[in-house]
Amino acid sequence: MTATMRKYIIKRLIYSAFIAWGIFTVTFVLLRIGPSSPADRYLATMGAGKGDIEEIITALETRQGLDKPIYVQYVDYVTNLLHGDWGWSFSTSMPVMDLIRIHWIYSFQLILLSMIFAALLGIVIGIYSAVNQYSRIDYLSTFFSFVGISIPNFWLGIMLILIFSVKLGIFRTYYDTSLPVFSFENLKNLVLPVITLGTGSMAAYTRYVRSSTLENLKKDFVRTAKAKGLPERTIIWRHVFRNAMLPIVTIIMFDLSGVVFGGAYLTEIIFGIPGLGQISFNAIFAGDYAVVVAVTLIGAFITLLFNLITDISYTFLDPRIRYE
Amino acid sequence: MRLSRRKFLSLCAKFGAFSLAGGTIGCTGQKEAKVESQLPERQFPQVKGTFIEGTSSGDAETLNWILAGDGASLGYVNFTMDGLITYDNNLNIVLRWLSEPIEVSEDGLRYTLRIRDDLYWSDGKQVTAEDFVYTYRNLMFADWMPFNYKDDYREEIDGEKRFVEIKAINKTSYQFIRQTVNPEFLYTITDFWVYPKHIVKKYEGDIEAFTQADELNNLSYTGNLGPYRFVEWIRNDKFVLERNPDYYLGKESGAPYFEKYVVKILGSAAARHAALEAGDITSASIDPLQVKKFKELKHINVYTQPTSGYNILVFNFRNNGWEGFKNKKIRQAIAMSISKDALIQSIYLGFADPAFSFIPRPSPWFVEDGLSRYGVDELYDKERAMQIFQDEGYELHDGKILDGEALRLTVVTNSGNKVRESICFLVKQELSDIGIDVEMKLLPWTTELNQYLRNKVPGSDEEPAFNNGPDAVSEKPWDMIVMGFSTDVLSPSGSSVFFTSDGGLNFGGFSNPDVDALFNRIRTKESLDEDKRREIYGKISILLSEDLPGNFLAYPVGNVGFQSNVMGIEPGISMGYNYHEWYFA
Repeated sequence: MTATMRKYIIKRLIYSAFIAWGIFTVTFVLLRIGPSSPADRYLATMGAGKGDIEEIITALETRQGLDKPIYVQYVDYVTNLLHGDWGWSFSTSMPVMDLIRIHWIYSFQLILLSMIFAALLGIVIGIYSAVNQYSRIDYLSTFFSFVGISIPNFWLGIMLILIFSVKLGIFRTYYDTSLPVFSFENLKNLVLPVITLGTGSMAAYTRYVRSSTLENLKKDFVRTAKAKGLPERTIIWRHVFRNAMLPIVTIIMFDLSGVVFGGAYLTEIIFGIPGLGQISFNAIFAGDYAVVVAVTLIGAFITLLFNLITDISYTFLDPRIRYE
Repeated sequence: MRLSRRKFLSLCAKFGAFSLAGGTIGCTGQKEAKVESQLPERQFPQVKGTFIEGTSSGDAETLNWILAGDGASLGYVNFTMDGLITYDNNLNIVLRWLSEPIEVSEDGLRYTLRIRDDLYWSDGKQVTAEDFVYTYRNLMFADWMPFNYKDDYREEIDGEKRFVEIKAINKTSYQFIRQTVNPEFLYTITDFWVYPKHIVKKYEGDIEAFTQADELNNLSYTGNLGPYRFVEWIRNDKFVLERNPDYYLGKESGAPYFEKYVVKILGSAAARHAALEAGDITSASIDPLQVKKFKELKHINVYTQPTSGYNILVFNFRNNGWEGFKNKKIRQAIAMSISKDALIQSIYLGFADPAFSFIPRPSPWFVEDGLSRYGVDELYDKERAMQIFQDEGYELHDGKILDGEALRLTVVTNSGNKVRESICFLVKQELSDIGIDVEMKLLPWTTELNQYLRNKVPGSDEEPAFNNGPDAVSEKPWDMIVMGFSTDVLSPSGSSVFFTSDGGLNFGGFSNPDVDALFNRIRTKESLDEDKRREIYGKISILLSEDLPGNFLAYPVGNVGFQSNVMGIEPGISMGYNYHEWYFA
């Protein structure tokens, strides 16, 4: 890595930290000036309570420090954050960092495997379709791509469970967290969730790769390579593939950043996977501000980091790209 | 004597009976629960297997139970600590930690409780009356503790609310002393559990330390107090328990009979049903649409059980609601136009009972005679309803009821609740038949709560509350709201919050001085006589069924499926009260 590149990366990381901080501040303020309160969720289940509702709401807000002026809450939060304290999650009764530390792996393994599944199949099928444009396989892949894009995740997941778990008994109906992460059983456990989450992306990647490859196949450098007598496989994989990958890398990186923002929420719900998607959404509905703010802050930073990785990867895929 | 409302809730939550809060069970007698001790040893079931209960009603918030505001948390804790009593399916009290029934003084002011002498904390120290007194005095009643149910333990003396007195009598007896009579206080004092004084004392006064204390969040102190011990809790995934070999009720019988008990969270009904059908879980509640299919499966047993929740179409009596609702005959005409049979058959697929008042049939205080049964039989009559409108001065033109112009009402409910949305649609259809246009508003819960349920006097600086007096109005106008309420079946007077003039949750602004007076009479000496209390509840039920603060619609019933190798289940409203005696065949 050149000194210029190192300088560029450091600069981008500093920018990212500032942007993430800005997003965090906006989220923090919006949550507190919004019309809802963490007490709202209790009110739905207080039907038979004889207690003083307003007293309960006040007690809940006091316990969570929401009775203080917003600037005091902000300063307190930031001060604690600088001391490594991300706060306490009132909806799950544990430190926010422990909550994220325990649950991120469930989302990460699911999203990573889905992306690998989607990218591998999407790229291979997309290139094959493009190289064999208007062939029977191209028509088939186009048809299944549109089907894959159109099928809602939750429907596909439930169908897979009914067929492969209930009827055939091959897989368990839900994800089992007691299995070691790095084990064959865990991998087997993830087959249906990965197909559920990855099918839509795979179909989309197939379309992107096909169209990007077709575009590159018409470029002058391909014609030159052919004129030089290079074998077709070399032309495709060494020249066309690298150029066709530029737009795909951006999309894959964006999908990966969904690990924090709940990109796999529906799949997690269907298969009972306790990932960050579920944690984030539940925190939002529970008014668990500490978790929402932490997830937003970490999510924003990770998204910016993936953007940076995407930009850097361009320099490897296309040597003409330089950052200064 | 009766059962505690929250114990009953946690029992029901355990088996997916209902998702609304509330529910206490009534009973008319007492009996000892130690049936197992009478059985010869050879008959006891073998300890084996893992019972996996699938649920979609959401995860708990905390195991530090005094801070809990949700039913799931109380349900989880209940696995590790039985509590003082429970109730069987006939709503008879079954003693657990209590060694004998609660003794109530003749004047109804003193309640004496005696606990067993074989209850121990995990460190071997005996559970004493002093632990109970400490839990009440220094924790539940303390200013620093945000305990959600403080008001249940207060009484009003000379216009001032004060906590009841509690004192230890000896090592295993303690006493509550009241200044005023409240016969239903009996149910309150058997709610909740106990903290070990010698462990909790160090956190006293420091809510942050108390909230985050490891021992309290890991239930590591529960000793022999419940059939299971806490092992692991993965949020939004599962709550794992292991058999407690020291369980005080299992000394002779060897109960409980499952090696492990797991509560598995499954985010959707479809996933829950699939897991039950595939045999990946042992039990789960079943949605009405799936009941027929599960009943046909040989490896699943389906049990139907009553619940204490009901749906109601609340009318707006406030100044921003339709003026017509202030006329009782018009309210009756509206109720007469909505078929409860159609509602039960088309929306609940038959798994509900029609509601005419707020006390459900399983409650010992339920009365049937004298209830006005609007919406069924001869009181479902749209022509008569239209005639009532005309008699009350409304014109009928081209099949439309005119109130100056064509009458148009709004019906509101929270979006995402399919049953309530369907009820809104049915109300719209039924009322259109008598010439009333109904506009449906399906809103997010928070919007409904803040803009429609909370109210304040216009122009005042007061904070919006659910009942800020007769002149208060909500931010947005509305005419009818479909809501789910729940009744404490053992002590239904808790429902006064909905139906009395100053009730804290009377957002519709209903007011009937006779109803107010009757609810007040429940908390007087005359109600110590159970027959008298039943008579008063009968009068309230009849009055509400006729006066209609809202149209009481239906009491849903729940369906629970079990793998057929689970033995020992006693179906009923309190199914699961004996779950420590269940076993695998």
